[in-house]
Amino acid sequence: MVMRKIPARSLSNAGVWFLVLISPVALFGLFLAAQGVDAMGTYASMVRLTLFTGYGMGEVIIKTTPLIFIAVATCVSAKAGIVNVGGEGQFAMGALASTALGVSLGASLPAVAGIPLMALAGILGGLIWSGIAGLLKNHANMNSTITTLILNYIAVQVVSYFVFGLLKDPASFNWPMSPPIPNHLQLFKFGNSKVSITIFIALLTAVLVWLILGRTKWGFKIRVIGGNPMAALHAGYNVKKNQLIAMAISGGLCGFAGMLEMGSVEERLRQTTGVNYGYLGFLAAWMAWNNPLLSILTAFVIGFLSVSGNILEITSGLPSSSIRILMSVVLLAILWKGRKK
Amino acid sequence: MKKILLLGMAVCMAAGLSLASCSGKKQESGANAAGSAKPVGIGFIFVGARDDYGYNQAAYQGSVAVEQAFGDRVKIYRSENVPETSEASRVLEQMIQVGATVQFPTSYGHLDPALDVAKNRKDVIFFHQGGLKTSDNLGTYFGTIWEPFYLAGMAAGKVTKTNKLGFIASFPIPQVLLNINAFELGAKSVNPAVTTTVVFTGSWADPAMQTNAANSLIDGGADVLTQHQDSTKTIIEICERRGVKAVGNHADASELAPEGWVTGAMWNWGPTFIDMAQTALDGKFTGSKYDGKFRGGLKEGVVDLAPFGKNVPPDVVVLVNNAKAQMIAGDLFAFEGEVKDQTGKVVIAKGARPSVDELETCDYLVEGVIGSVAN
Amino acid sequence: MIGALTLLLSGAIQSGTSVLYGVYGETLCERVGVLYMGIEGSMVLGAFAAYMVTSETGSPVLGLGAGMLAGALLALAHAYFVITRRTNQIATGLTLMFLGLGLTAFFGRKYTSIHVDGFRELAIPLLSKIPVIGQAIFTQDPITYISFILGPLLWFLIFKTRTGILFRGTGEDEKVVFAYGVNPVLFRYLGVLAGGALAGIGGAQLSIAYTHTWIEGITNGRGIIAVALVILASWNPAKAYIGAYIFGGAQALQLILQQQGYNISPFLLLMLPYVLTLAALFAMSKQKRQVMPEELKRVINN
Repeated sequence: MVMRKIPARSLSNAGVWFLVLISPVALFGLFLAAQGVDAMGTYASMVRLTLFTGYGMGEVIIKTTPLIFIAVATCVSAKAGIVNVGGEGQFAMGALASTALGVSLGASLPAVAGIPLMALAGILGGLIWSGIAGLLKNHANMNSTITTLILNYIAVQVVSYFVFGLLKDPASFNWPMSPPIPNHLQLFKFGNSKVSITIFIALLTAVLVWLILGRTKWGFKIRVIGGNPMAALHAGYNVKKNQLIAMAISGGLCGFAGMLEMGSVEERLRQTTGVNYGYLGFLAAWMAWNNPLLSILTAFVIGFLSVSGNILEITSGLPSSSIRILMSVVLLAILWKGRKK
Repeated sequence: MKKILLLGMAVCMAAGLSLASCSGKKQESGANAAGSAKPVGIGFIFVGARDDYGYNQAAYQGSVAVEQAFGDRVKIYRSENVPETSEASRVLEQMIQVGATVQFPTSYGHLDPALDVAKNRKDVIFFHQGGLKTSDNLGTYFGTIWEPFYLAGMAAGKVTKTNKLGFIASFPIPQVLLNINAFELGAKSVNPAVTTTVVFTGSWADPAMQTNAANSLIDGGADVLTQHQDSTKTIIEICERRGVKAVGNHADASELAPEGWVTGAMWNWGPTFIDMAQTALDGKFTGSKYDGKFRGGLKEGVVDLAPFGKNVPPDVVVLVNNAKAQMIAGDLFAFEGEVKDQTGKVVIAKGARPSVDELETCDYLVEGVIGSVAN
Repeated sequence: MIGALTLLLSGAIQSGTSVLYGVYGETLCERVGVLYMGIEGSMVLGAFAAYMVTSETGSPVLGLGAGMLAGALLALAHAYFVITRRTNQIATGLTLMFLGLGLTAFFGRKYTSIHVDGFRELAIPLLSKIPVIGQAIFTQDPITYISFILGPLLWFLIFKTRTGILFRGTGEDEKVVFAYGVNPVLFRYLGVLAGGALAGIGGAQLSIAYTHTWIEGITNGRGIIAVALVILASWNPAKAYIGAYIFGGAQALQLILQQQGYNISPFLLLMLPYVLTLAALFAMSKQKRQVMPEELKRVINN
């Protein structure tokens, strides 16, 4: 799908995109000004402290990493014609499964075995959770938008059940958190920061998935199934089986993201680990029209907005909800622009 | 298409860069103009909304007290709804970057993130609310809010007609369990037949669930309700509408229930926060009472018993006030043994007074409490 | 001491009513072929607007009107995006949900501590004296009573009137509607607007009738669940009670079970409403697919 465009058109397109991205920022600036906040100054510190400091950039990368995974996961299922809004729950189940493995067997395992096993557990955790939705779709015709949403709520309580119970850290004074994942099972981090190799894994995954979906036979099959199930049936494709596989991959990716988050940033499981990542990742995918490569960009935009949003709150003294308003206005602008056909 | 997006991003970044560079200059000149007395940055992070009429609001009011006490000498930074994950470390770090040198992470779950940041930021003093772990530049503080809960339990035990008290709790964490236990122990000390039924809502502030739970408890026969939620208004107002008695938490909410208000437990963070901030400003953190585990109670004025409602019989007021005086004098201790848990097992031996560490790791409900923390 | 059955029934109705309005609202949206995941946003805006206006004017009736209006306003944004701009319906709805939650949290803070006299429960004479169900069904707030008759009313409007047939046609096959000389876009807008207004009432029920409280995020996912429950109702407003009361009933049941002191983890009990909803969807799944509006199938399966 390589599109050649005449430069003049691209230029005007770029201009439109520039307007699309700048107008919500301007609009929100007026909103800030109405609240008596120095909008320019606030924006300046948001950009400076986030994109122009090593720490800020690191935090954006940390925040962007799981969003890329979940966005890419959303792309996979979407291409196969299934809406997976369950990144939230699948991420949590992946985090839960990998943490459970890491803290129960971790101490006795060398890194070379323990880390892959944790990854496997994470992938399985997410895969099972999305697989439930996939099976319900195949065998009971249940809509996966709905089932994955409900499963998110159940996952929250499952995680709570474990961090208050079997997984509770005996050394944490009966507070609801798992023990830390043993040091030797933590992923490689750069220097003193929490930025780890996970961002490269995420980028690699996005490229891989993009290649698989766009360049392989299975990817073609999936796109036909997602685009026109009737045609797929006529072509002799097994629609249900392939959709289930796509759903499993989707959940597996989310679960893997959960494991990476545990193994690098969080180090122990808590009730609120990864809250909202699923929904934000889902939105990142749809902003990018389910293109895994574009998802990297949209995930970055969302990551940047979340991290700089804290600066906004701290420097302006406005409530934290202002971050949400800014983010949704930006997302709406991107949606409004929509796909150029 | 991708290239176009990239281009757009690049343009935005460039715009941002130019913005950033001019503002950088502006800030520097601003700092110069301000002169020598640079205000000290003090940061507060809250786990919930600062106007939740509860735990976070109490801490927020503490931060306002600090702001008022020091005026221009300090610059206050606040951030609310900060999750108890590594996001908390980020917010703390960001606050330091904009200028905070004293930090108040005010929720238990902010402890590990704060310890993380404290490790790399030796020049910043941290006062953590509710924790049991400390470091060179991080001390923890908390209030023994279970003291007024015990006293409120006494009052509840006296005014109940059905001998059934209701407790609407959030999560079975030690701070919450302690309050439930203290409430029941206080009630039982004046009325051996009394039981406390506890319901966990699995949320800090879900008014619909609170309403459902309150109605359910009242219909089940409870005639005095109390709670450990972040937002307390809903339940107190229901009690008033349905004609049962209410025991408050976090703040004096007697105006919400003119008829049914009994009393309640309340925070008074202002003076303590000011004292902590002063200690840090003076550079005297190390060696002060705040560099370890500081716990203040009724005696220190960190917590208090809310005023009694107009319908509480005078003899009950006298009884509870006497107990309060004994507590302040150290003659009465809410968790003095022997205390048994729900299964009848002795958890605090006869005559023993558990330490802060022992208390704040509580994972059981005492005998007389109906409810489950099973996992 | 009232029987456990009464407790369960009244709990189901009380915690189900706001969800019920969400189901009504979502049903109307989906009947015209629009999936509106922003129901949660409309509900929370409705809850806030109702609370604010009630506190400023002292009139819960005006508050209810404001709640409807606010819910409809967010829905209008959704309609514009998905109908006129043809954006992705799920992504737009979710974004609007975030916007609604953000705006209300922002502007709502000063109302958190304000006391409001909203709608009170009114016991209906005689009927409220019927054993078991009297207390549960006929001792409710006015918005709840309206919800009782709204289901059949909406059913009649949609299934038994000419306008209703065209309305449904918009969601089934817009060419047919065109053939009748009616603009399906108009109907689609109206359907979504009405849906948002109903969701706004649901929010108002939460804030000024049930809890008498405003706090950010008061809806707590009830709007999202409503979207799921529409399927249980087979896109039929007269059956909307089923899902809403199963959800509300499970909520009440888990609270009752907690009070019995059984040795069960509270988290397993808190899971119950969602597990039951899923189970109910599963149980009724076989016959559901056929009744889903055609246009909606296109949306959901893209």
